[in-house]
Amino acid sequence: MSLFRIKTSIPPRLFHCRCFATALPNDEEYTATPHYPPILDMSFEKKLERKKVAKHEEIKAVKTVEEKQIKLNMPRFYGFKSYMLNEDYCPYNNLGLAQHVTRTHLIVNNELPEYYKNIDVSGVALNLKSEIEEAIAVEIDGYKRENDFTNDDLTKVEMENLTSSLIVKQLNRIIKNEMSTSHPHMKNAQIDYEPRIESTWLAGGMDAPERVKSVRRGRPWTKHMEDDPVDRLMVFVGSPCMTVRSELPLPPIVSRDEAENAELEVPFFRLDPRAVGNKTEFRHIANTPGFWPGDPHKFGLLSYHNRGYLHNRKHYQDPQDDKEAVHRQAIIASFGWLQAQANFLGFNTYNDITYPLVTQTVITDGKVWSFYAYQLNTIVFHTMYVNENPKRNICWGTEELNLYDRVENGKLEGFNDQVLELLLKFYCNVPESRLGINLTPYLNHEEKVIADYADDDKRQWLEREYKFLVSNRPRFKLDYEVYSWEKIYKIDNKTRHMDKKLRPFELLQDPFKRTLDDRQPIYIPRKFRPHLPRHKGKYAKEYFP
Amino acid sequence: MSTRWYPIYQKGGPQLRVFLPNFWMKLVKPTQDQPPNIVQFACSMEMTKHDVKNYLEKIYNIKCVDVRTRIHMPKTRRDPGKGYVIKDEDTKYAYVTMPKEESFKFPDLFETETKEKIVEDHDKAMKQAKEGFQDFLKKNKDRANMPGWFTI
Repeated sequence: MSLFRIKTSIPPRLFHCRCFATALPNDEEYTATPHYPPILDMSFEKKLERKKVAKHEEIKAVKTVEEKQIKLNMPRFYGFKSYMLNEDYCPYNNLGLAQHVTRTHLIVNNELPEYYKNIDVSGVALNLKSEIEEAIAVEIDGYKRENDFTNDDLTKVEMENLTSSLIVKQLNRIIKNEMSTSHPHMKNAQIDYEPRIESTWLAGGMDAPERVKSVRRGRPWTKHMEDDPVDRLMVFVGSPCMTVRSELPLPPIVSRDEAENAELEVPFFRLDPRAVGNKTEFRHIANTPGFWPGDPHKFGLLSYHNRGYLHNRKHYQDPQDDKEAVHRQAIIASFGWLQAQANFLGFNTYNDITYPLVTQTVITDGKVWSFYAYQLNTIVFHTMYVNENPKRNICWGTEELNLYDRVENGKLEGFNDQVLELLLKFYCNVPESRLGINLTPYLNHEEKVIADYADDDKRQWLEREYKFLVSNRPRFKLDYEVYSWEKIYKIDNKTRHMDKKLRPFELLQDPFKRTLDDRQPIYIPRKFRPHLPRHKGKYAKEYFP
Repeated sequence: MSTRWYPIYQKGGPQLRVFLPNFWMKLVKPTQDQPPNIVQFACSMEMTKHDVKNYLEKIYNIKCVDVRTRIHMPKTRRDPGKGYVIKDEDTKYAYVTMPKEESFKFPDLFETETKEKIVEDHDKAMKQAKEGFQDFLKKNKDRANMPGWFTI
């Protein structure tokens, strides 16, 4: 302890005394040419647009795949209103909508693009033909014998899906066995049975619903925007009977310039998707391509889909529309899968892919086969970019082709070699590494997925949060709702003046605007807390991106 | 099925000339834009999707691919005299999908007043007034300087 005790607040006061200060000329303040801040358009729309772009950049800057997905979900606690595109439910006349919301140009002919003509599979086809014929015959007959198809609790749709997935599994087994020696990419390929595929993206250009219009009409500064289009959150939900994945992507079918060709027309669907029978749900944004982030096999090669749902469309009595339904299924299934894969590579509906992705889709019931090749060139076409983005996705498809005519005495009659060759061409399409391209430009170099984080607590917290969001399970606590009696006696007719005003609609709150992080963190009981003052360390740390 | 039955004919009973089932359908202008092959109807509450389909196919020979229905609840309001909350009847709406190649546009029943129409009406009235004044002059050409109320 010193002899003199000077009050601690005195020395700073002494040194900050202005009488000891001299003015220092700051030369850096002046430059030879004046720098002005950029001149910005201060109109309402432009300000809003800049705000949105800043948000998109924020998402782009997030480090890992899972955190990006959580970041996308941040604005809404109860999920977003989503327009459903179910793989196994296709309302009448739905192809136009599917093409618009996926920005896909459809080319239907029985020969897939030029690219596939260079793949020779006649040798493999000859080797496999007899084995495949036998397998199909066994599956069709054998399954019927084993399981009683006259059983009442199996619907027609279920029966067809069962047989087709069995046939697909057998064909895949035979082809993979044959090719694993000659084609190393098949040896390393990963196979999934009935994966859950969900994909969520924004589609723009469609008319505003009446509700939005009336809100816009009511505010002087949005009155002129009344008829402007609004974004719709589209959700694809599907489950292929089998998918094949690899570590490397398939080579692109057409070049970048071709993808911007204005002659590749995409029908513009102006109306609300509900007008043609699509449904809406409240959901979190989920992008699951059938595997978890961090899986090295992150590029899809091939997916097989069932077509049993066509039985449910019989009452439309329009075979032409059934054909379109198959095209529609191929488009949304291919786009949905690729879009979800793109999300795992660090891209999303606001940050466009920097290189094209390709997949191959087969839709079959075992006898009737349709083949599609799909090149994904863009995933950003929300309202801000719907007119500016020149890129479009391309889908090449075949008509429905019969693999055989009928089964007689346990043998296939009229086997069509061409169909088998088309299928083998898909298997022989070799994935390649993209030279000179960074496959994950928007992900961090060291930490691409949350598994790369060293902090245990952070990793576990993010894992739990991410898995909860993509599961789309309902919350334990019931969602907020306005009860009918409240709507009648409190909102529409103000009959209860004396009631205490406690409900959100009486306090000018909108619970559906609640953000994901607007909640209490997990409580830590006292015995688990470190020795801290009583009011500290009550809640666990949170790691929202 | 209608809730009214066609009465079974009993021998000697009077012949029924008119039978009115409680099924009706009213073509309405859609509140939300619809594709050209989708038509909106208001229909009686008892009608199901199958009834709507049969109604249009059997009576009007219109092919229905698909029918979707919804029940609309009108707004509640206060009774003007008594002050309690009342509500009008619900309405069932049917959205009927016709084959793709068909199209229907709801007709413009009440011509909206355009600017040309207003000018045209104005001109017409002006012309009539002028003619009326000319008639008046013609009638009174022999009665110069006489007051208007003076007649024979």
